[in-house]
Amino acid sequence: MSAPPAPPVRVPAWSLSRSAIWLWVTQGVIGTLVYGVLVAVVVLGVPESAGGPLPVLRWLLPVLLAVYAVLAIAVRPWIRYRVHRWEVTEETVHALTGWLTRTWTLVPVARIQTVDVTRGVLQQLYGLASVAVLTASSQGTVRVPHLEVAVAHRVADDLARRAEQVRDEAT
Amino acid sequence: MTTAPWQTAPEVTAPRRSSPLVVLVHTITFRQARQVVPAAIPVVAAVGIDGPGVVVGLVVAVTALSLLFAALTWWRTTYADTPGAVVVTRGLLARSVRTVPNDRIRGVEVEAPALHRLFGLVRVRVDAAAGAVTGGDEEVVVDGLTRAEGDRLRTSVLTHRRAAVVTDPSAPSLPEEEPAEEELARFDPRWLLYAPLVASYLAVPLAAVGALSRLLQELPAGLRPHLTGPDLTDTRVLVVGVVLALLLLALGAVLGAAVVNWGFRLVRRGGSLVAVRGLVTRRHTELEVDRVRGGTLSEGLGMRLVRAARVGALVTGLGAAHRRGQVLPLGPRAEAVRLLGLLVDDPGPLVAHPPAARRRRLARAIGSGLAVTAAGGLLTAGTGWWGLLAAGVVLTVLGVPLGLGRYAALGHVAGPRSFAVRSGLLVREQTVLQQRAVVGWQVRQSVFQRRAGLATVVACVGAGTGGYAAIDVAAADVGPFTEAASGSWATARGAGD
Repeated sequence: MSAPPAPPVRVPAWSLSRSAIWLWVTQGVIGTLVYGVLVAVVVLGVPESAGGPLPVLRWLLPVLLAVYAVLAIAVRPWIRYRVHRWEVTEETVHALTGWLTRTWTLVPVARIQTVDVTRGVLQQLYGLASVAVLTASSQGTVRVPHLEVAVAHRVADDLARRAEQVRDEAT
Repeated sequence: MTTAPWQTAPEVTAPRRSSPLVVLVHTITFRQARQVVPAAIPVVAAVGIDGPGVVVGLVVAVTALSLLFAALTWWRTTYADTPGAVVVTRGLLARSVRTVPNDRIRGVEVEAPALHRLFGLVRVRVDAAAGAVTGGDEEVVVDGLTRAEGDRLRTSVLTHRRAAVVTDPSAPSLPEEEPAEEELARFDPRWLLYAPLVASYLAVPLAAVGALSRLLQELPAGLRPHLTGPDLTDTRVLVVGVVLALLLLALGAVLGAAVVNWGFRLVRRGGSLVAVRGLVTRRHTELEVDRVRGGTLSEGLGMRLVRAARVGALVTGLGAAHRRGQVLPLGPRAEAVRLLGLLVDDPGPLVAHPPAARRRRLARAIGSGLAVTAAGGLLTAGTGWWGLLAAGVVLTVLGVPLGLGRYAALGHVAGPRSFAVRSGLLVREQTVLQQRAVVGWQVRQSVFQRRAGLATVVACVGAGTGGYAAIDVAAADVGPFTEAASGSWATARGAGD
């Protein structure tokens, strides 16, 4: 990738937990296994004598599966880790997510309504948790995935307390 | 909070039932019995319909069932408007109690559908703060009140709410007295002539024709009228037929618009905007001025030809905002702009987006056409059939005005106290928001946008659709725009840079 042009918004300072990479790798492996089973069913299920485009599928699907596996296991987790950033400042919560399309979300602490901490099954395995900062707008939600559990809880408590203090109408 | 003197009447807090007449209304419309229909169909199919006796029996049974359900529902539903909250209790077996605290009430709507009017009844909807996060229907409906009781409930709820907001019971400001009204807009029947150019009103007669033709097909052959079809080979007949059909369509659209919007009036009464409209069903919507965060001016393709527009208010915590927030359902653009100016300050003329945005709109508009052309080229080379190629070329050529039109619609501006974004070709929507409306910003940049130095900026708002986008803003303008539109916290380039 050539040097990207200047980002439209300041890039937040903090990275996620490094365990996030391994969680994404695990997700990639699971996804590959699921698709692998589907591909195997198709490849083994299509009879030799089938006409039309079906024989093409016999080699196209495994190739697609291989490409997906490389992308999802070896490439995407690292790109995601490099892209994902977050930061909590005096006034705002700020996060950058995505891997091809990048999304910055910026929410002032004064407009925070609730702060959620969630832990999925895989996240528990890696000791991670996600923080979601919700506002009155359905689109104004800052999601910071895969922080260390202790960090996530500290951030959530801190934000909830500060939001309580400086809350204006919040809508 | 101590109880204010006008709230002491004990019967105000006692649970009440709606008028028993509503049972008749619901029996006629099969409101509750409708739920049984899916279960009844297989039963009927198993029994089979033969002979008029069974049909009559069926009709009687269904009506009786409907009456029973309606009566049970009426009996098991009560409501109470206490000084602190509105409580609606319902449910045949599983009881549900819905309590809406007064400070969460955003407005009260009184509507009178045609059948309700016949019995002198109204339906009252109490809007609670929806909270875009939870979604769902956060409103409480009390159906089938007498008109007087409906008005009493509306006044009472709004009075309580004001008291809850003011929280100063020691100064009872005679809330029974209706504040002075100030008329902001009144519907001119001539505006109905715009209706044939508005897609949503054109859909009304088309839907009616569709329903009628289906009904005709379902009729037994003996009852269907035998019409000899006109001679379609004669051009004159064809032309007259098409002209007649278009006239009917236009008439249908005008009628549809008249039914919905007849007698529209927008008045300011105290701290509320009150909109009344409708020919058959009179709708009475009340919006709190304090909760207005901005407005949307939308113009369809046809409306732009005659410089017509509609205006909707963006109100925090208002469910079904598209219908209820309407401040001007249809009217001349100048009137629309004037009303929008009452809702929110005019931030000034829009700034056009950079040329890269035009290139991107064009690329997206002709992209699919080019793909079809390429596929058509392959097909032509392979089989000699050029139909797809021609279609692809036509699509590509049509894509050019489409892309240019989309680009022309783009714009944004930040004024001293408000800001605006605009986009859309078929329906061009210009949303103007107050600075305080913003609860967050979202900036999106796809791979292509990054190369072109563009970004899409979404202002997150706790009203309307929740987010309003300025599409393809120059990346360098994002920071200045967000900061100018919402204040210093949105400084994109902070101390860390």
